[in-house]
Amino acid sequence: MTPLMEADDLAVDYQAPGRRVRALDGVDLTVARGETVGIVGESGSGKSTLGSAIGRLLSQNAQLSHGALTIDGESLFDLSAVQMRRVRREKLGFVFQDPIGSLDPTKRVGAQLRLALRGRGASLDVTGQLERVRLADPRRIARAYPHQLSGGMAQRVAIAMAMATEPELLVADEPTAALDSQVRDDVSTMIFALAAEAGTSILWLSHDLAAVGRRCGRVAVMYGGRVVEDGPASEVLARPAHPYTHALANSAPASAAPGERLQPVPGRPPVLTGPSPGCAFADRCGFAIERCRSERPRPVRIKAQSVLCHRAEELAGSAALAVHGVGSAVATTPPVPLGGDRS
Amino acid sequence: MRLFLWWLRRAVSAVATLAGVSILVFLALRAMPGGFAETILGPFASAEQQRELAERYGLDDSAFVQYWRWLQAAIGGDFGTSMISREPVASELGARLPVTGQLAVMAVLTALFIGVPLGVLTALRARPDGGGALGRLVSGLGVSLPEFVLGSIVVFVFSRYALGLSVGGYVPFADDPAGNLTAMILPAAVLSVFAISATARTTRDAVLNVLVEPYVTAAVARGESPAFIIRHHILRNAATPVVVLLSTITAYLLGGAIIVEYLFNLPGIGSYVVQAVGRRDYAVVQAGVLLAATVFIALNVIADLVVGLIDPRLGVTAEGRSM
Repeated sequence: MTPLMEADDLAVDYQAPGRRVRALDGVDLTVARGETVGIVGESGSGKSTLGSAIGRLLSQNAQLSHGALTIDGESLFDLSAVQMRRVRREKLGFVFQDPIGSLDPTKRVGAQLRLALRGRGASLDVTGQLERVRLADPRRIARAYPHQLSGGMAQRVAIAMAMATEPELLVADEPTAALDSQVRDDVSTMIFALAAEAGTSILWLSHDLAAVGRRCGRVAVMYGGRVVEDGPASEVLARPAHPYTHALANSAPASAAPGERLQPVPGRPPVLTGPSPGCAFADRCGFAIERCRSERPRPVRIKAQSVLCHRAEELAGSAALAVHGVGSAVATTPPVPLGGDRS
Repeated sequence: MRLFLWWLRRAVSAVATLAGVSILVFLALRAMPGGFAETILGPFASAEQQRELAERYGLDDSAFVQYWRWLQAAIGGDFGTSMISREPVASELGARLPVTGQLAVMAVLTALFIGVPLGVLTALRARPDGGGALGRLVSGLGVSLPEFVLGSIVVFVFSRYALGLSVGGYVPFADDPAGNLTAMILPAAVLSVFAISATARTTRDAVLNVLVEPYVTAAVARGESPAFIIRHHILRNAATPVVVLLSTITAYLLGGAIIVEYLFNLPGIGSYVVQAVGRRDYAVVQAGVLLAATVFIALNVIADLVVGLIDPRLGVTAEGRSM
């Protein structure tokens, strides 16, 4: 059976005046039906570009360099504009980071919800749709303008729009990053509940390692425009097999025991101008050897994980990549976002 | 209550502006070298003759007394009599207003129906690598080409060769609609070049700003078609700066398109008031400038109301975060 979503060696460049920036440098990723996959990475790791590429929503200065992206067996970059619109309408749903900005400021909530739902087999009962996303007083909210809503309310409206058509894949690009921490959990819970009910797969892009670990079945860690580690969430976060995942897990506040110093990932993420000659993490990696800088790593299997690291097998045998503090912090501590910035 | 306060504030500021403008114009006219008597009687008139004339029109009183006299009459709706034509100023301006109004309406409607689609189109075709150089060149030329240059060329071409449209020969629309239009199309076209370019440019920028808004991306992600997105999400959100621009252009044109009126020999307000300045026809200038200022203020209020209808965040009665 074909996977619902498959990225095969996907490379995307942004053309800025006078320079090219490589955002995706050969991404391999599959999402099966009903699966919930979290994509974790720092700003600039390419996760937002990947999310946009799935809806072919990349900005005009983005170019597909090589590779392919398929939804349900259809290669997105080979579709006509009309066919692409059909895929978006029938198979995809998106929730974005800026909840109020995602709604048209000049239209009442009810009016734009109705506009977004008509002609696609979804129920046009606006009040009912707003109740489904657990908005109290849906009638009043239907009459309000977006700027009169809180971020959490607006995000629920956006979710109602995305989920009303029961898409096969929901791409959620940091949907809770702009929300208050109390609301954040409620909104995440609701998205996962609605998706489970509708049989929708989720691709959840986030900084929030711990939350991803608790909610998603699988985690893919992105770095330098590639998926460097991919496997079951509990395994990847508790027993990372890639030095970058290890560094990321140790820099997350949730992983530290009280009194312990957090270890930031040293250095900054790279800005690639073309294909990375070796491993993009080599310059920041404590385990890097000569080979890491000159040869692109190929995926190796370490237990349940697929890892892009020349030394993965070696390191797996040692205790070098143990996560500090509570080993299973992932499942027990409240979610704390990684890093303050969100892009 | 909020609405009432808004109107009150607008009314007070309108009255203050008009009072300020009337004083400023009054003083400026009096400060000009050469008064009415000198201008009318010529350089060889005796001082005796000049004094006699000034006395007849009350120009020998102090500026304050003169202004007070004018103000009292103006509040009563009497804007005085032209000292040149001996006609009431109100009826003189009233007779010229339709010409200027028609010219402004024709130019602005052209700008609306050509400039807005042009702006939307160029915005949608814009490329991040700075394409659309031709469009920018054309609109840049349209904005910067002076009216007297373009107008002179048009007057020359259309008077030299018989191309079906007449230069000059204005007749009121009511008397001869076809003749009126053949005389008005050229001057309106000359004025509309600037208006179209400015409108197209503003529309283009506004649409480009809206195109990068997350709600447009969200609509694309829902699988909406470009036509649907333009109609339902882009036009209204991009309209605010265009409405403000069009109201400013309209107000500017209603104040009188002086050069074009001269070039095409149209009996409009602009050329009339400028002529009155030259002849020191004080009451005419005073009323003409005040009319232009009133039009400006009124159009500003209308633009504010329209903007409020377009974007609830900017409206007169905009509610804040009420939930």
